[in-house]
Amino acid sequence: MVTFLDIVIAGLLLGGLYALIAMGLSLQYGVARVLNISHGEFIMIGALTTWTLFQMGVSPLVSLVICGLLTFGLGFIIYRTIFRRLLKSSPSIAAFEGSSMLASFGLMFIIQNIVLIIWGPEIRGYSYLAIPVDLAGALFGANRIVTLGFAIGIGLAFYVFLSHTRMGKAIRAAAQDQATAGLMGVNINHVLALCFGFGAALAGIAGVLISMSYPVHAFMGFEYTIIAIIVVVLGGMGSIPGSFIGGFLLGLIGSIVTYFEPGLALAAYYAIFVILLWVRPTGIMGK
Amino acid sequence: MLEARNLVSMYGKAQALWDVSLTIDEAEIVALIGSNGAGKTTLLNTISGLHHPASGTVEYLGQGIESLDPYVIVEAGISHVPEGGRVFPDMSVRENLEMGAYPKRAWKAREQTLQQVYGIFPRLKEREKQLARTLSGGERQMLAMGRGLMSRPRLCLLDEPSYGLAPIMVTEIFRIIERLRTQEITVLLIEQNVRHTLEIADRVYVMENGRICMEGECDELLQSDFVRQAYLGL
Repeated sequence: MVTFLDIVIAGLLLGGLYALIAMGLSLQYGVARVLNISHGEFIMIGALTTWTLFQMGVSPLVSLVICGLLTFGLGFIIYRTIFRRLLKSSPSIAAFEGSSMLASFGLMFIIQNIVLIIWGPEIRGYSYLAIPVDLAGALFGANRIVTLGFAIGIGLAFYVFLSHTRMGKAIRAAAQDQATAGLMGVNINHVLALCFGFGAALAGIAGVLISMSYPVHAFMGFEYTIIAIIVVVLGGMGSIPGSFIGGFLLGLIGSIVTYFEPGLALAAYYAIFVILLWVRPTGIMGK
Repeated sequence: MLEARNLVSMYGKAQALWDVSLTIDEAEIVALIGSNGAGKTTLLNTISGLHHPASGTVEYLGQGIESLDPYVIVEAGISHVPEGGRVFPDMSVRENLEMGAYPKRAWKAREQTLQQVYGIFPRLKEREKQLARTLSGGERQMLAMGRGLMSRPRLCLLDEPSYGLAPIMVTEIFRIIERLRTQEITVLLIEQNVRHTLEIADRVYVMENGRICMEGECDELLQSDFVRQAYLGL
């Protein structure tokens, strides 16, 4: 008998992943102004790298660090090479938002095809901590609970970083007013590249966590990109706490819908997205 | 202290500055007046690095800064308080002030500078924890000026600090600008409020259509028929 509590816990487990992914996109879109269509590909890179490392005997917990650094580096370099050049040649931020989104679309195909060459199209998976744990009377895999723990931990750590450190404040200032942040002494180009890197790292880390519980393959990314976009709109564009809360909210909704009809979860997300754009386009935390 | 020579500035194909030269000496209050669209803000943006000139030079303490980015220029000691204040709306008053102290050297002294700024603007201390978006226009302007002082500048560029404020606030803002002189901060001030400005400034530049059309001591300009008619309505 599935109880209400089971549904809530399952929703939180899913929501933790969504929260991480959406916070990453929120940094990239809210600060660096890149609506990164290739966001999910960094999740996929994290997931497949973790799978390969697992075959070599590396624990996924170690992969969290490795993939975090790897995707951060990738994101940072991609921003410095592709997006910074686009920003320089764009006459306005609005023009940059358009061209950077198209560029990230192209990036998605490039990354997918490179990954196909390296890993092939097979669906892969491994078994890690697949021990059932009793949580308030319901059974959940230990890997799922580890995932939730890390998602919350990393999300909160990031929040503290943004609200209490010098660099975190610079990132928030740049999100609110780039030119004025520059006048305060913030090296804008550097901060934007860092934000893109952090966003990619959050995706990569989410990918590692996803691979602990779900099968992974070269085309897994796009669905997560869509979910991230929905959560970012749900939480309010550019609001990091909004993305965090929005992630859990969407996870809960997904879990409730899945209880009635598993095939309708994604459809429900789209429905929420459309209703939201009608009723409250600024999102739950937006102004 | 600062010397701009023959600045030419373009926005796309539109020319905003035509051969503009200006000097500021240490501990002076220099005012820049002129009608809207005369190029005053562009000149300030060119000095602070927000806009790079097509030609011409800006020398600060003997070094060319015209091709540097804003963050380098703040570190060198020039603080720019932009038009409208541009406070960070979703940060608290205190966080806004802390952002002003972002350059490394200023960051170390930020607690001390913060107390000094609170001393100048007691209202900001009262509103310390409030989000900047909830402040009144006058409070925002005070916050912007306080934030500009947090980097411990030697030269402060102020773009219409009294714009849109109630008369009592205008008087207050001008009183504070005058006090900056005693703290060895040099000021370049853009103002629409010419009467007040001429009372506190040492020298004035008048801009029209992207050019400097007149300059001199305040007393001289007060005698000029052009200034009396165009800006004072006498």
